[in-house]
Amino acid sequence: MSSFWKYTLRRLALVPIGLLIVITAAFGLVSIVPGDPALAISGGLADEEKLSEIRGELGLNEPLPTRYWNYVSGLARGDMGTSFFTQLPIRQELFQRIPDTAELVIMALTFAIVFGLIIGGIGAYFRGKAADRGTRYMTSAIQSIPDFFIGILLIYFLFYQLGWTPAPVGRVGLLETQPPEVTGALLTDSAIAGQWDTFRSGLRHSIMPVLALGIFYSAYFAKTSRAVLASAFASRQVEFARACGLPTRTIWLYAFREARTPIITYGAVLFAVLLGGSAIVEIVFSWGGSGQWAVDRILALDIPAIQGFVLVAGTITLLTYVFLDILVAKLDPRISYGKRS
Amino acid sequence: MTIVIDDVVQTEPSRSFVKTAWTWVRRHSGIAIGIFVLASILFAAFLAPLPYDPFEPNAMAILLPPSSEHWLGTDRSGFDVFSRVVAAGRLDLPLALTGTFLSLIIGVTIGLLASSKGRGSEGIMRALDVFQAFPLLVLAIVIVTLTGNNLPTVVLAIVLIETPRFVRLTRSQALSIRESRFIEAAYAMGATHRRVLWRHLLPNVSGAILAQASLAAANAIVVIAALSFLGIGTSPTDASWGSMIRSGSQVIATGDWWVALAPGIAVFITVLAFNAIADGIQKTLEEK
Repeated sequence: MSSFWKYTLRRLALVPIGLLIVITAAFGLVSIVPGDPALAISGGLADEEKLSEIRGELGLNEPLPTRYWNYVSGLARGDMGTSFFTQLPIRQELFQRIPDTAELVIMALTFAIVFGLIIGGIGAYFRGKAADRGTRYMTSAIQSIPDFFIGILLIYFLFYQLGWTPAPVGRVGLLETQPPEVTGALLTDSAIAGQWDTFRSGLRHSIMPVLALGIFYSAYFAKTSRAVLASAFASRQVEFARACGLPTRTIWLYAFREARTPIITYGAVLFAVLLGGSAIVEIVFSWGGSGQWAVDRILALDIPAIQGFVLVAGTITLLTYVFLDILVAKLDPRISYGKRS
Repeated sequence: MTIVIDDVVQTEPSRSFVKTAWTWVRRHSGIAIGIFVLASILFAAFLAPLPYDPFEPNAMAILLPPSSEHWLGTDRSGFDVFSRVVAAGRLDLPLALTGTFLSLIIGVTIGLLASSKGRGSEGIMRALDVFQAFPLLVLAIVIVTLTGNNLPTVVLAIVLIETPRFVRLTRSQALSIRESRFIEAAYAMGATHRRVLWRHLLPNVSGAILAQASLAAANAIVVIAALSFLGIGTSPTDASWGSMIRSGSQVIATGDWWVALAPGIAVFITVLAFNAIADGIQKTLEEK
């Protein structure tokens, strides 16, 4: 067995332990939090009788180990609890919304990576010149504007002033027909069903939220790719390639290969972060994904929903990181598989 | 004669102080500008006379565009945007600074503890990995809402979000410095563990920690803006940049830009100032 497969297996073997920690965190976050959740749910207005009723409903009257056992065994059956708010199963509610957020995040990250690479590439190629300084000021500026404020600026310019985008509400216009559900993601589903009017409308509704997130996060990619590409352009192998008279295009490709690992790493980490972190942009544009759902439910103190979200977000992040470690090990032969560093 | 000599003796140090200060400012223009901007925001927030009471809405002046009466216009409730943007510095900046300061203290302590070799320190780092695996903004929202939804819980959320970066930085710096000759020499001369920690390790990592603290404060400003944008932690009557952006976002689609623009720029400038300080410190460290 090659050392790469050994590394992969060892990394995968750690997943169950990580999962157990995530489950415990989701349970503990809401169960051991200071303050009485029953009091918080009732808004501080209920009498003692009502409070103990709420506690009973939450299962708070049981001892902690019993509650933990009930929670874990429920999860094993695929039961993530029922919402206090809508009385619907959390699993159904959450998994209905994750595809929408995933679609937004993937589009935003694609934009961020492409745009960031261009900006960073320009800075690295014209290192020390005006173009480098200009792009660097631009990245610092972009990084200092909250993503939701970029969204608001976009609404003003693209929607109000120019009228290029539809009103910043929801994923499609009111008149468009919803495609039959296959993946749960609107754009993908409408493309599968061949409903191109809905697809186009969905794309047009995606412009502003994708740009808001994409512009903000492109700064990260611009910074990283500038640093990596600048050292790549100054490296021996690029110097040698130039001396051999290879075309500029090939030299760029060589340099980009150096930037591959950090870009993939950043992309994967941001993907995991954004599944919850896109919440405010989702709210600004009434996107209706899992982030917006999570914040709505947190504000409504829907405890099973909060637990469900923390659990799923933690699990996705955990799996993303494991996948990332394996992918980077596969791509970069310099990384030793011997020990986890 | 003696009087003249006295004069010379007295003026000489003060002139050279101004001179040294000026050379410092010129060499560290980023840090100087950043500190000046932040100090001005704080000064204006607490001491400057405001044209209108930022907490007293005027029902006769609803959603007015900028004019000589209301320099930055008024919002939907009739608050004067200019007065409120300036006054919001009273809330946002101290909150961010308190949160950052506390996470610095806690983070550096944990980081130094985790820099010793052993299973315990590995454990701390793995626990951090898991903790950071959660979407931190959502975690902050959960913590603030469940623990009482007031200003102290906002500080708590910032501490939880910002502490890990100090732990990581302090640990990695301490681990690399720990191997250097002068630490070895200090131990050889009979210095105690605590003395090495305080007199040799900490002074050498303090620059990097300060730079990190400035970045943490910048991030804290954004987190506070995000929380109060959602109406979490601050009450609706409080003046904060996030809640002002929120009320601006409700009228932006109809073209009333002035409500959201000023608080947005305030956040932008504050974050930029903190980042400039961090960049400046980093640059000085690299020159050394």
